[in-house]
Amino acid sequence: MVQLPTVQFTKEQEQFRLEVRAFLQEEIAKGTFIPKCDSWLSGDDSSFSRLIGQKGWIGITWPKKYGGQERSTIDRYILTEEFLASGAPVAAHWFADRQTGPLLLRYGTEEQREFFLPKIIKGECYFGIGLSEPNSGSDLASVSTRAEKVEGGWLVNGQKIWTSNAHICDYMVTLVRTSPFDGKNKHAGLSQLIVDLHADGITIVPIKFLTGESHYNEVFFDNVFVPDNRVVGEIGNGWAQGLAELAYERSGPERILSTFPLIDELIQELKRQNNTEGLKQASKIVARLWGLRNLSIGVAQLLESGDGENVAIPAALVKAFGTKFEQSIPEITRLLVQTYPTLDAKRKIDRLMAESILHAPGFTIRGGTSEVLYGVVAKGVVTQ
Amino acid sequence: MSEMKDMILDVVERMLKENVDKDLVDIIEQGKWASDLWRLLEENGMNVVAISEDNGGAGGDLEDLLNIVRLTGKYAAPVPFIETTLANYLLEQTNLQVVDGLATYMLATNQAFVLEDGKLTGEAVHIPWARHTKHFVTLANSADGIHLVEIDLSHAKIIPGTNLASEPRDTVTFDHALVSQVSAALSFDEISAMTTLETAFQLALMTGAIDKINELTVQYTKEREQFGRPIHRFQLVQQHIVNLAGETAIALAAFNNITDALLNNRQNNEVAYARIRFEESIQAVATISHQVHAAIGTTHEHALHQYTRRLWAWRDEGANASYWADVVATQLLENSGDSLWNYLTDTKQTAIKL
Repeated sequence: MVQLPTVQFTKEQEQFRLEVRAFLQEEIAKGTFIPKCDSWLSGDDSSFSRLIGQKGWIGITWPKKYGGQERSTIDRYILTEEFLASGAPVAAHWFADRQTGPLLLRYGTEEQREFFLPKIIKGECYFGIGLSEPNSGSDLASVSTRAEKVEGGWLVNGQKIWTSNAHICDYMVTLVRTSPFDGKNKHAGLSQLIVDLHADGITIVPIKFLTGESHYNEVFFDNVFVPDNRVVGEIGNGWAQGLAELAYERSGPERILSTFPLIDELIQELKRQNNTEGLKQASKIVARLWGLRNLSIGVAQLLESGDGENVAIPAALVKAFGTKFEQSIPEITRLLVQTYPTLDAKRKIDRLMAESILHAPGFTIRGGTSEVLYGVVAKGVVTQ
Repeated sequence: MSEMKDMILDVVERMLKENVDKDLVDIIEQGKWASDLWRLLEENGMNVVAISEDNGGAGGDLEDLLNIVRLTGKYAAPVPFIETTLANYLLEQTNLQVVDGLATYMLATNQAFVLEDGKLTGEAVHIPWARHTKHFVTLANSADGIHLVEIDLSHAKIIPGTNLASEPRDTVTFDHALVSQVSAALSFDEISAMTTLETAFQLALMTGAIDKINELTVQYTKEREQFGRPIHRFQLVQQHIVNLAGETAIALAAFNNITDALLNNRQNNEVAYARIRFEESIQAVATISHQVHAAIGTTHEHALHQYTRRLWAWRDEGANASYWADVVATQLLENSGDSLWNYLTDTKQTAIKL
């Protein structure tokens, strides 16, 4: 097994955590947002994202010359935890902060970085991730949206699906096929293009989620022109570039804390009832959370120290185990306290329960289904 | 973490690998014990790691010692290593003399040894290795409170018993026996700190055993063929492999975190969380590993049971998950104004020094 490093937060980091928390509590008190479960997917609020941008809390690890603060991965980890634990509406800028920025820093051109990163950092420019297609979910090698070379750029035709928040996004990093499918080398011929979602030929159709809200979308491309300067990295290298981001996507606190607001309210409820036996049961949740958090922070520390080679397995484990954990919370909760879950409930725990129950099926799907992750881990463990 | 750590651990792991095999682990079931292995550990000073040099210690710190304990768990070393080292660590921490030779201990306050005029009376059950050890370090009640005492086991009546793994767990009776050393009366916090340490030592042992079970199981899935291919190629077996790998990764990370926390005097809740979580891990790890090993793993012939039986035994010894869940529940109630998140992320320094 991979030995993950332990992390002891510095005094400055503890101070930073309290600073972020105080800000969020103040905003909750002002009514800026109502804490909810799964806020990194379902809580999009562009004015809140701009507020976060003004605080300098988007892209905090990025170079100063683009407006970042060159702070550590651990600082970002703390920030992310505080957002999720308080159920803050961070979905609008989430994917740009987590994936697009690091992608451009690693593979983008200088022009792309100077154009996009400062806007992302201000909380004014949102990205979607265009990976899945109707017949290509976890099996991304079968992507069939294609881009053909034309004068000065590429012409994109095809369809993406399950793009979170595409309806509020400005751009989408889109995985497309730039050369014909080769059955012998399924991962070849894929490229990443930044598609302007306001361009001609784009149609975005919302998909109604089982809560009645629309977070996911279908995105259709009909002869959409993408100029050459919007190709990310090398043509044909899309698969390798995408893989490099997976450890960041899979190992973060968002794979553990999606239902944290419900856990917190459960504990408050048990405390109000003076229910020691219930709290003893609930201590198991705390213990599981602590165990997963150790893994997740350990992966963050490995990424920080540049030891990215060993993170694929623990990162996949964090996602597989973490999402199973966050998915289990509504069931544990309902066995410990009586609730009447409805989305418009006045009682906080009833509303958080409803959000958790209805969002939970997605946890173990988005970002790679558990089944696919199990395959990754099993192969890795056996060949180690 | 001391700089010696990697070097010490390399030496210990090699020593255990070369000297501990299934037959050796089996000998305690024949009523004998591994005196050669103990001598080897003693000659290399492993029994006095984390004891100060003034007291004849070999240097190193608590994290080094816990890592050695982890390795003794990984090889199911049939010697009272945790007992001797923890007994001596407790003696030193309470300003008593460390002892030479084998020792064992008992920290439960509900098993009433009474100390009167420097003499100990009472009976305790499930005392590890008592029949093979010389010194007994235990909590005892007296008129002015609870003390840590050290007493010679030759004064005791010992009735042999065993735990689920056939490790010696004896009944020890004293009748007005003269103790060798007595600590000052202990505060509630000091006794809690001792319990925390005891649990940390047990977690180290458990981590080693879980790690080993994972290794044995993965290896087995590569060697064992059914229907014409190694069983790790079957998706349903892969699910077992992943669940086992996850439990192992969580256990190893948890162990590293508690040793780091103890070394740096971070809040001691980490031991509580780990102990609660390990009880679930043990259940999963034992079930999965036996299922994957199938019939052969249920035989005495195979080494798997040397680890699964130990885990089943150890999870019911000392302060168990229920004890620690009570501690956590009480703390949650006491922090009435605080959110769970504040409680969880509060990393204020809380020394567990005795």
